Amino acid sequence: MRMLSFSQPALVPGQITRQSLVGSQANYIAFLTPSLLMRSGLSQWRGFLTTASLDQNRTFWKQREKYTVRPIGMKKTGGRDHTGKIRTHGIGGGHKQRYRWVDFQRLRYEPGKDENPFEEKVMEVRYDPCRSADIALVAGGNRKRWIIATENMQAGDLIKTSGAIGRMAVSAKEGDSFPLGALPVGTLINNLELYPGIGATRIRAAGTSGVLLRKVNGTAIVQLPSKQQVQVIETCMATVGRVSNIDHNKRIIGKAGRNRWLGIRPSSGLWKRKGGWAGRKIKPLPPMKSYVNLPSVSAN
Amino acid sequence: MLIKTTQRLKPAAPLLTQSSLLKKVRINATHCGISFHWYRHFNVSCSLTAKVQSRNKPRVKVDIPRLERITYANRMHYVPGLAKPFSPAFVRDWHDPCHYKSPTQENMPLYNEKPCFIFNQRTHPLEGVRQALWLTKSKLIKGLPDRVLSLVNSKAIQIENQDERVQNTIRHARLWYTTEEEPSRRKYCGALLRNLLHLCGSLQTTHPGLGRRMLAEKYSLTATWSRGEELFQVRGQNGILLNSMAPIPVLAEKEEVQNTSDHVLETFYPISPTIDLQRVQVYKEQSHKGFKEDYPFPHAHTLFILEEGDIPFKLQPEYLRTKMIMFSFGNALARAHTLYGTAPGVLEEPIVVQSVATNGQMFQFAVFQLNTTDLQADEGVKNQVWLEEDQPLYDHALVHPVLKRKVVHIPAGLSGYKPETFQKFLSLYLHGAV
Repeated sequence: MRMLSFSQPALVPGQITRQSLVGSQANYIAFLTPSLLMRSGLSQWRGFLTTASLDQNRTFWKQREKYTVRPIGMKKTGGRDHTGKIRTHGIGGGHKQRYRWVDFQRLRYEPGKDENPFEEKVMEVRYDPCRSADIALVAGGNRKRWIIATENMQAGDLIKTSGAIGRMAVSAKEGDSFPLGALPVGTLINNLELYPGIGATRIRAAGTSGVLLRKVNGTAIVQLPSKQQVQVIETCMATVGRVSNIDHNKRIIGKAGRNRWLGIRPSSGLWKRKGGWAGRKIKPLPPMKSYVNLPSVSAN
Repeated sequence: MLIKTTQRLKPAAPLLTQSSLLKKVRINATHCGISFHWYRHFNVSCSLTAKVQSRNKPRVKVDIPRLERITYANRMHYVPGLAKPFSPAFVRDWHDPCHYKSPTQENMPLYNEKPCFIFNQRTHPLEGVRQALWLTKSKLIKGLPDRVLSLVNSKAIQIENQDERVQNTIRHARLWYTTEEEPSRRKYCGALLRNLLHLCGSLQTTHPGLGRRMLAEKYSLTATWSRGEELFQVRGQNGILLNSMAPIPVLAEKEEVQNTSDHVLETFYPISPTIDLQRVQVYKEQSHKGFKEDYPFPHAHTLFILEEGDIPFKLQPEYLRTKMIMFSFGNALARAHTLYGTAPGVLEEPIVVQSVATNGQMFQFAVFQLNTTDLQADEGVKNQVWLEEDQPLYDHALVHPVLKRKVVHIPAGLSGYKPETFQKFLSLYLHGAV
């Protein structure tokens, strides 16, 4: 991306002609040739860049192979992508933050160990600048990892993770993680997977929780915090309880500057006509969304 | 391509007039289908706004035996439809240290199937002292052992003008040691320890046993043992070791040692005791003290550990105590292995190693007695650790006073000197020579 000097080939013709030719013609050619060649489109002229390096917007800092609990230094992009264009408006500035790699796949067995239900001990519950919820450092066996903390999680707690679905529903403690099929109907859950084994993607924000509504035929129907209902396979993992930092929605930003500390920029200020969102309108809930890809009957 | 064009242009140059040359170039440009607006190339927006191609997946090469690919190697240029010529990786037939590639772990001569867990001087074990006690199969006793305490309390062991000289020592390290405004922790930590050791060494006139000692810096230790099903090692440089010609007398008598078998070791389920230790498979099972066989000071007396607060390797006091226990255990175990061989068993003559750690103000004292090298099982005789935690030598040593509302809260200079901490330091130093 960096092109701070004239590219070499563009200079070559001029030099060659100067050396090889004599007399007025040589001068003439020397004067003419570089620009003409350029016009012809044959040159490798790339120009020069006067803006800052775009390496900042690369994401090398997050491309890691091996898991670590150590905070990783982040680079701010200001909402720009790798070409330097704004991709997301309203981002920029703010306090320096470090990224703590949260393991969203709760049922990740320790490598080299049997795939049995396991317990972990909460070592620390702390603030995370990169998300609204708190995070907890849990240790079990030979490893440590960060997870999203639930409401009443404290240092010293033992939390359980199990991948088994028994005949009876388990009586789950808060912070434990089970497949949806193992939990009793009506349980408050968080950190929900949409497909088994891909890691939690729903219900991760501070103070949120979903409800396990019913279990049908190898699938489970969950109400998300937005009241939308999703149908997922019953082996999808979910954590019992409510996500920590329940007073997140009650905090008072107080002034415009505090939003800037958080890295949020003011909106553009350009007048825009209000759309359909502005008036009161009660819409019906969207239909239940299914994340179950069951084979169709006709396939058999 | 450019060079070729110029070569083509060169013979034509004297023959052509300006207009004809321009015309020719213009025709060329239209042929190539490239914009005539050459000034547009002056910026690079075209290259920036170009669509970013997604990275292609690497093509899988299929090798069919006895089927030779036809490549364009002989043609010396790319030919569509022919395979890309393959040239095997270049291997030097001479040794070039600049381009040395180490073999994979599996091919190294010291590779072992069984992993070994290594404790080094920068290890932060999660469970701290409890984990060290499990690893060394030890029983913790708070406070210093009775023999050392009797030395602490005896009035006979005193340096002349002790308190004043110790305070001057502290002032030297904290205030006078540097031409800068204030010495850094890295500087005053080591200076304070050396000053105190020098001060203790001045008792050699009354206690000639102190002459048979030697300080060793940057020595490297290795001690290997099995605990449970795992193999452990304490390894590397760790501090300043005071060696002596005579061993420290045993602290706990045989009866007390036998009683330790009733002690139940603390476990920390669900956390494994190997957590945070470095897991390696390339290692050598050995126990070595880091000194030659004929070294005249074979007995490790006291291990001094400095906590200089280097940012990435800063140890919290809990981890510092862990390090003290682990390395004094390592020293004792290496000595036991040289004396009695590596066969596990209860030692007839237990081995005692002391350890002192400081961060320039706070002192930690530990005494380790190795009773057994049979560490495999949890039952049986345990080792013993006496631990004295967080003993400040002084409260403040400031260049500038701390003022609050024009009232001096902490005066400049040394304040809050604790003579009993130095007395403990001195007793541990004299232990074995009195």
